[in-house]
Amino acid sequence: MILDKIIYDKVTVFNLVMILAVFVAAIIISRMIAFYIRRTLKEKVKQDTLEIVIKIITYSFVSAAIFYALTVLGINLSGLMVAGGVAGVILGFASQGIIGNLISGIFLIIERPIKIGDQVNIDNHTGYVEDIRIISTTIRTYDGLYVRIPNQNIFTSSIINYVNHIVRRFEYIVGIRYSDDADKAIKIIKAVIDDHPFALKNPKPQAFVDNFGDNSVNILVRVWSPISEWYSVKMELLLEIKKALEAEGIEIAFPQRVVWFGDRDNEVNKEAGC
Amino acid sequence: MFGTHDIPLSFETENIQLNIQKQNGCFVYQRKCNDEEEEKTLLAKKTTILINPVEPINKPKEITQYLLIDIDTSVIVEPRSTFKIYLTFPVAIGVFIKRVRDYDILDIFTRASQKYTLYGDQQRGVICRYWESLAYSTPPEVDPFQLGILELSIKNTTERWVPVSKAVFNAYGMKIYYSSERVSMKASMEILSESTAETEFFSSPLKKDMKKSLELYNVRKLSVLSSTFTMADGI
Repeated sequence: MILDKIIYDKVTVFNLVMILAVFVAAIIISRMIAFYIRRTLKEKVKQDTLEIVIKIITYSFVSAAIFYALTVLGINLSGLMVAGGVAGVILGFASQGIIGNLISGIFLIIERPIKIGDQVNIDNHTGYVEDIRIISTTIRTYDGLYVRIPNQNIFTSSIINYVNHIVRRFEYIVGIRYSDDADKAIKIIKAVIDDHPFALKNPKPQAFVDNFGDNSVNILVRVWSPISEWYSVKMELLLEIKKALEAEGIEIAFPQRVVWFGDRDNEVNKEAGC
Repeated sequence: MFGTHDIPLSFETENIQLNIQKQNGCFVYQRKCNDEEEEKTLLAKKTTILINPVEPINKPKEITQYLLIDIDTSVIVEPRSTFKIYLTFPVAIGVFIKRVRDYDILDIFTRASQKYTLYGDQQRGVICRYWESLAYSTPPEVDPFQLGILELSIKNTTERWVPVSKAVFNAYGMKIYYSSERVSMKASMEILSESTAETEFFSSPLKKDMKKSLELYNVRKLSVLSSTFTMADGI
């Protein structure tokens, strides 16, 4: 029979078919488990933790299939390790970058300065972390671009993680006219902040006269918000502050210049014939 | 308004209008509370609606599982003693719709003001729903559609007088009871040191005739690991 045909040494066609079947089974089973885990734990476990668990399961199944294949093919693993010592040096030089990325990837998974779903700035790429793979990390920028960054670059560059802390502060400068009542404006601004559910009570928001500008009295407004709501609060509050100030007759100042003519009175007198 | 009802139904109280009426062959759910409106079409022939108070952490959006009650005038507790005080808490009203054996949430609304705060520091702290309350020695008279009464048993296990100005609770452990006149919960606070305490809800009504609420975490089948909260960043 064709299945009993020896290909080399003691390895038959049947052995190869079995190896193929084990690989296919390992991939299918790991994907089924991943699908089941995603479905059942999606709302209970954080996405990044879920992805790490799924990766560990997938790699474990694939490793088991590789181990099975090596055993069936009669490859002695201890011999492979001795040979690996020599080959390792050669491969090491040849694949420095890949190994560096791989080790950086492992450290990134252990240290976890970034997690899947985080909003980050790495190497001047700002966006959401889509995936942390063993060799590279992918980012989806705010304008929808796909950016792949090798893990070694991430590990050696500074990372800004915008969502690592649970709260974040934003600030506005509200410039009012010199003729407006600054105390009243501050009271109105504080009331608007107090009315917004996600403008946090603590850390306390601040509103104070920061400086006297060329055209306006500048009130500095600082507000803390939960990190998940930060951007929407920032967008909503400024418009609400503007509306509330205008409703009370306080206007946002705009650049203006008053020009004085020193000899204006003489000109007027000449024209009048005095 | 609280309790189970068959549709169609209609309720109106101060600042709350709730209707489920047949329109063009379908039931239409309409709710107005303060300035917020909600409308949904129910594709059902007949069903039962349950309206009861739920954990007040879902409006305007669920971002936390903690409730912080800021006590207006802080209370100072005698060493090695237990005292009861009464606080108010915001009431959120849940509208549930009957399924085969259980209920699904249809709508949540509240008349109470909404505000959030941070308890602890920015790295390890938690976001909490914020509520200010006076401390009462007897249950206060409040509008059950807006405010609930929390009976808080404070146990000072230390050797010193300890001031208490706030209490943080894990809302996933809330046990809410209701009647037509009041909404209530019972909780305990065990003071472990001058700045640390542990809080927990327990299942007991304020009055005998009160019914147990169907809480949201029950409906969502959330596996609650712990219903206690350790206040390690000041009390």
